[in-house]
Order: sequence, then C-alpha cells, then structure tokens
Amino acid sequence: MKRQYWIITVYIVFLVSGIPWYWPDNTTYLVLGLPVWFFVAILVSTFASLFTAFILLRYSWDTEIKPDE
Amino acid sequence: MNSNQVFDLNAWIFISIYLGSLILVGFLGYRARQENTLKDFYLAGNGFGLIVIFLTLYATQYSGNTLFGYSGKTYRIGYAWIMSVHFMTAIVACYLIYAPRLYARARQYNYITPTDYLQHRFNSNWINVVATLIMIVVLSNYLLAQLMAMGRAMQGLSSADPALAYQQGVILLTLIIVIYGTLGGIRAVAWTDVIQGLVLMVGFIVLLFMLFKQFGPISLATTTIQQTQDVTKVNVPDANRIREWVSYIIIVGLGSTLYPQAIQRIYAARSEKVLRQALAFMAFAPLFTSLIAVITGIYAIAYIPGMEGTASDQVLARILSIIQQNSILGYWLVVILYAAILAAMMSTADSALLSISSMLSKDIYGRFVDSNASEAKLTFLGKLFSWCLIIFLVWLAIYLSDKASLLKLLDRKFDMLIQLVPAFMVSIHWRGMQALPTFIGLVIGVLVSLLLAYGGFDFVQNGKIYGFHPGLIGLVINITIAVTGSCIMNKNK
Repeated sequence: MKRQYWIITVYIVFLVSGIPWYWPDNTTYLVLGLPVWFFVAILVSTFASLFTAFILLRYSWDTEIKPDE
Repeated sequence: MNSNQVFDLNAWIFISIYLGSLILVGFLGYRARQENTLKDFYLAGNGFGLIVIFLTLYATQYSGNTLFGYSGKTYRIGYAWIMSVHFMTAIVACYLIYAPRLYARARQYNYITPTDYLQHRFNSNWINVVATLIMIVVLSNYLLAQLMAMGRAMQGLSSADPALAYQQGVILLTLIIVIYGTLGGIRAVAWTDVIQGLVLMVGFIVLLFMLFKQFGPISLATTTIQQTQDVTKVNVPDANRIREWVSYIIIVGLGSTLYPQAIQRIYAARSEKVLRQALAFMAFAPLFTSLIAVITGIYAIAYIPGMEGTASDQVLARILSIIQQNSILGYWLVVILYAAILAAMMSTADSALLSISSMLSKDIYGRFVDSNASEAKLTFLGKLFSWCLIIFLVWLAIYLSDKASLLKLLDRKFDMLIQLVPAFMVSIHWRGMQALPTFIGLVIGVLVSLLLAYGGFDFVQNGKIYGFHPGLIGLVINITIAVTGSCIMNKNK
C-alpha cells in the first residue's frame, strides 16, 4: 500500500471515531467529570496529533523538482 | 466588554512595557534588514529557524477569536464546540496535502506572495487577479475581526466610557502594529510573534490554572450544568450538529492552510526539516489552546448563566473579572492573561496586514500598474498600502463595534478561501489541471457560496445548509468544473 493511502486511511479512522455520531442520544455517562463522547473526542484528537507529528518527523520531504514539473 | 477589570498603575506599566517591547523588536527588525528587497522584507531573506517558525505559526494561527469567539461559542452551543479542537488539528494534517511540494517550488522559483505559485503554474492573469482579490477580501475580514477584538479587550482594561475605550484600544494597538510591521517587515512580525507566542502559551496555561483554582474541578461544572442549565449543552450532539462538525473540519482544515500568511510562512522556513518540525509542534497546539478556550466556555455555562447573543462572546471577560476580584495572585494572573489576549490579537493582525501589503504591491501594482517598478519601490508601496488599508479598517472596526458576533465573521471567510483548493492543492499534484476550467470553477464556486450564504433561502439556516457551510457546496461545484473541464481539454489536445 502506498504511503499516502495508509495515512489517509488512518485519518479517516480518526474522523469517524472522533465525531460522536454513533453515541445513543440518551448517553449520560461521565469520564473524569466529562461526558463520555466529549472525552473520546479529546482522546482521538490527541492520537491524531501524535500521528501527525509522527508522519512529519518520520518522513522527510522530497524537495527535488523534476524537470517537467 | 461588559465587566471592567480596571487595572492599577503597576498593571498598566506591565502592559506598556510589553507593548513598548514590540516597537523595539520592530526597530531591531529594521536594523537587521540585509537589503531593500521584497524577499528580505516579506520573507526575511533566507528564512527563519525552528523556534521562530513554530512560534510565528502558533501566534498567527491562534487569534483573538480563539479566546473570545471559542469560549463564547462553547457558551452558546455547549460541549459540542470540542469540534474546534478537531478542526484546529485538521489544519496541520491538511498542510501535508500540499506544503511539501509548495515548499520545494517556493525555494526553487523564489516565490514571495501566495499567487506567485499560481502565476508560475497557470500563467493566467485571470486566476491571479481573482485569487488575489479573494485573499485580500478574506484577510481584510480577518484583520477587521482582530481589530474589533482588540477594542473589546481594551474596554475590559479601562475605566473609561466603554465606547471611548473601544475606539482608543483599536487605534492605539493598531498604531503599534503598523509601526513595527512597516519598520521591520516579516522579521519584526515573526520576532514579535516569538514574544507573543510565548506570552500566549503561558497565558492559556495560566487561564486553565485560574479556572481550576476559582471554580473547582470540571466535573463539578458538568454536574452543575446537568442539574441547573440546559442539558442539551451536555448531551450528545444531534444529527445537524454532527454534520456541522464534519463541515467545520473540512472547511477550516483546508481553508486555514490557504491563508496567505500561512503560505508565506511555508516559504519563509529555512529548510524543509525546520518546517516539518515546526508543524509537528503545531499538531499539539489545539490541545493546549482551543481545548482550554472550550473549557473556559464550559465553566461559564455553569457559573455565569444568562448571557445571550453577541454578549456571550464576553464570557471570558466576565470570568476574568471574577478571578481578578478574588485575590492579589488572581489580579496579577489576569494582568498576564490580558497581555496574552493582546498578543493573540496583535500577532494575527500584524501577519494579515503584512500579507495584504505584499499582495497589493507585488501582485496588483507590480503586475498590472508598473511591471518595471524596482524592488525598493514595491517595498515602499507595500508599506504605504498598509497604512491606507489600516486607516480604513480602523474606521470600519469602530463603525461595526456592536454589529457582528466574532464567529459570524469567521464563518464567511472560509467559504471564500476554500475555493482556492483546486488552484493550489489539486494543481500541485495533477499536471493535467488547466487554467481556463480552474478559473471558471473558482469564480462559480465563490458566487455559489456567496449566493447561498446571503441569498435568504429558506433551506439555509444559521448560515448553513443542513449543517454544511455554503462554501463546501461551492467547492464541490468548483472542483467538478475544474477537473472535468481539464479532462476534456486534455482529451481534445
């Protein structure tokens, strides 16, 4: 799988899991004093930040311009 | 602001030293100039290192709107505004789409303004003019929002009549910005961003500390809201809010990377490694910035009920007023936080102003009025345009002082900015992209977005269509025209 495809796939997973569309309307459970859906949204955002930093630090950018570009 | 903090002489001395240091940095930037050229004035010659690039990106990205607008929006809609942490994180992810290739081209071809890339890629004056106009309108809107926020911040600091304090605040702070900006160009702006970025980071952490100390744990705030306030603010967001969430992630994520000042910071990095590392730090910024603004809004829902409409953008000021009156420590923490608030607004405003001046002088004057103008003349004209524009915007900020909520201003600019996605992001990956369909798509995308936003249609509620920003509808049409048209033209070649 090309690198950009798995990166996009991971971001889609973050998007789908971070937005609270799948929680029942009557969810009132609290985690650390926060609504559980809110807590999960922060958690996923933290993982997204870690993943983004990993991508940026792990892979250098190709700064060579091909002659036909 | 409705509640005055009314600082004593010592606090004013602290704030004055801070503001004076900005002018000093502007002068140092002026002294550090190497040559009287556009590249030196707008990109600091060979560019900045990691700390400067990170802090200038940070200070520019997080504005007065983050503090006042986000806490106010949380107050109005509840916990669902945690979506702001998501869309601010999305910005860094969206840089990955095109920053690597744009940086390489900028270094190779010496780009200075954002539309230098478009000129090089499409060689079309039409695309350039429309893109430049969109960017100038959007940035002027953004700049105006910052000026208005500066006025409101000064209302909170002064014991004078609120209307007078607002006017004085707008004029004084704007004057400081335009002085150091025209003295030292990007060096002054980026170096003051270092001070402002550090003050801002400290300010957010101080704010979090103050909230916990004053009001207790957030669990108590949540329980209080559940028992005494509108529980829908705590409940799982409804379907319309979920669609809005998705819409914000796309429109702010893509749109913010296309801010002209953001693009120029890509150009201004000393190396690709520096830029990558700065963006890696930026990936975590929403967690210690936007999230704290949301938490502030949550405490306000619990403990300062009853504010409505545009007044709710003042919840942060109300909270600070309560903390300030409580202890000497609280008083001084509020003073530091006010310096951070001013930093947030001024650092965003100065970058926007500098970017507009570069586009007016190089992209409009240098390209269409006098193509033989020297670099020194264009640099001088850029400074002159800054002064003219800022005078007009100061007048507008005073005129509009109580007429628009901060977030309404934010919403419309992204609808327009995001229309540049095909021209920048698609074209940089697809060599088959053609100028004519890109131009037509851009124009129609902007027109559709504005028509939907301001057309008074029944299906547009609160400026959105089933939760989606009009700009996204415009973008779909825009991309369809640009890509389909390019495919047809390529086939007929």
